[in-house]
Amino acid sequence: MSDPLTKQATASDIARAVMSRKVKASEVIEATLARIEQAEPTVNAFTDVLAQRARARAAEIDSGRHRGPMVGVPFAVKNLFDIKGLPTRAGSKINLDGPIAARDAALVRKLEAAGAVLVGGLNMGEYAYDFTGENAHYGPSCNPRDTTRMTGGSSGGSGAAVAAGEVPLSLGSDTNGSIRVPSSLCGLFGLKPTYGRLSRAGSFPFVDALDHVGPIARSVEDLALSFDAMQGWDPDDPVCTDRPAEPALTELGEGIGGLRIAIAGDYFERGAEPEALEAVATSAKALGTSKRIVIPEAAVARSAAYIITAIEGSQLHLPRLRTRPQDFDPDTRERFMAGALLPGAWYVKAQRFRRRYRAALQKLFEEVDVILAPATPCTAPKLGQVMMKLGGVELPVRANLGLYTQPISFIGLPVVVAPVQLPGGLPIGVQIIANHYKEAAALRVARHLEKAGVASAPPA
Amino acid sequence: MKEELVAEDKPDIARLIDEAAKAIGLAIAPEYRDKVILNYERSLAIARPLLEVELDDELTPGPVFRP
Repeated sequence: MSDPLTKQATASDIARAVMSRKVKASEVIEATLARIEQAEPTVNAFTDVLAQRARARAAEIDSGRHRGPMVGVPFAVKNLFDIKGLPTRAGSKINLDGPIAARDAALVRKLEAAGAVLVGGLNMGEYAYDFTGENAHYGPSCNPRDTTRMTGGSSGGSGAAVAAGEVPLSLGSDTNGSIRVPSSLCGLFGLKPTYGRLSRAGSFPFVDALDHVGPIARSVEDLALSFDAMQGWDPDDPVCTDRPAEPALTELGEGIGGLRIAIAGDYFERGAEPEALEAVATSAKALGTSKRIVIPEAAVARSAAYIITAIEGSQLHLPRLRTRPQDFDPDTRERFMAGALLPGAWYVKAQRFRRRYRAALQKLFEEVDVILAPATPCTAPKLGQVMMKLGGVELPVRANLGLYTQPISFIGLPVVVAPVQLPGGLPIGVQIIANHYKEAAALRVARHLEKAGVASAPPA
Repeated sequence: MKEELVAEDKPDIARLIDEAAKAIGLAIAPEYRDKVILNYERSLAIARPLLEVELDDELTPGPVFRP
């Protein structure tokens, strides 16, 4: 167990130490605020640091007012989550003129009810239409593994803050890969749960049909701990499931016995750089599998996810595109404008295809329980890089970092990203994909890789 | 009968954008226009796999509206 006052401490380490009174919550928060102050000039993860609020909460914990499995754990959230008293930026300048949040987002309330302490809001790509973590208004979040490189996005600050060891836990959102891409490029564990598993209430939307929310952390135990604290039906999010919560933390010790694990071939190997394939191969070896499967029509699924995103996201922002185009980030503005002009019939076709693809994947899950695939086709590109070479073909970075994540979130399958730290190089993530509502299976596989030393997420 | 799934002739994207933008009341300033065209062309290329598939009539859209 790490010293709870150091950047190596996980959320679980801190909770155990506060619970057993080895350390005060106030001491944890002071150490966290000091680390944030020290790291921010180089990583630019935070847009709002809530020192006063966090200190007050910690003092309440120390006076015995709040208990719970996450007591004293500092966490921060992508700034599309409502934070009481602040405008919900969602990475934009425009939203600063919008309403001040009257209360915290549902997941912030759930984590604080479990004893955790919110310390701030995190940088992100504007309106979440982003895979890079860059932002024209607030500057890019920088990858703590190499600050000349991208964090990945759009939950860029959520990746940077955890990888730098500022906080052990953050929340992000994932419409097409925005939790999984930064987890991969920053070398972190990330969980994109089943669509509708966790409440999105009080988070600024992007694409209702595809929006998910979930945690990023440096251990599998922390993903499970926070996931369990956030589960449960919420009538404020019409998509949120009314299935009973299925705790995952107690399942972690089960190991991988009984799980049929396979590697996704075909689409998920095309265009990948050698590091991405090596990370999958190393993980598969540690899991004792060489079984390969093909996810049918993955390229069509990616295409359909792209179209739903472009049309739904652009429709949401059309009033602002009409009135304040000059206030958008130049990297989202024209994409939104183009999306607003695409034929609506494409959207309907994409939604119809979604049902066919879901049925095909359900059939596939009769044969396997867990599928492995790369999270990103490459390691972190340089900040500002516009084009990249994948499989010898020159492609735009922005549209292609999510090549392997889009076909999975398209039908809301749960995924854990396990980070593989390649010798002498940058980290890269492996997607551990399970069937709907089987988050625990993906977490068990990630835990096995973590215990085997194949996946790890030390702070930079 | 196999439908004509994708147009063989490349449409005039610049004109299409100008007219479609008028139809929805979106003024696109001249300095944004080239990048809108570029992004529309990218979207056409990425949409192609979706436009090329044929779907059974029984396949209704995914979202479920519960009154």
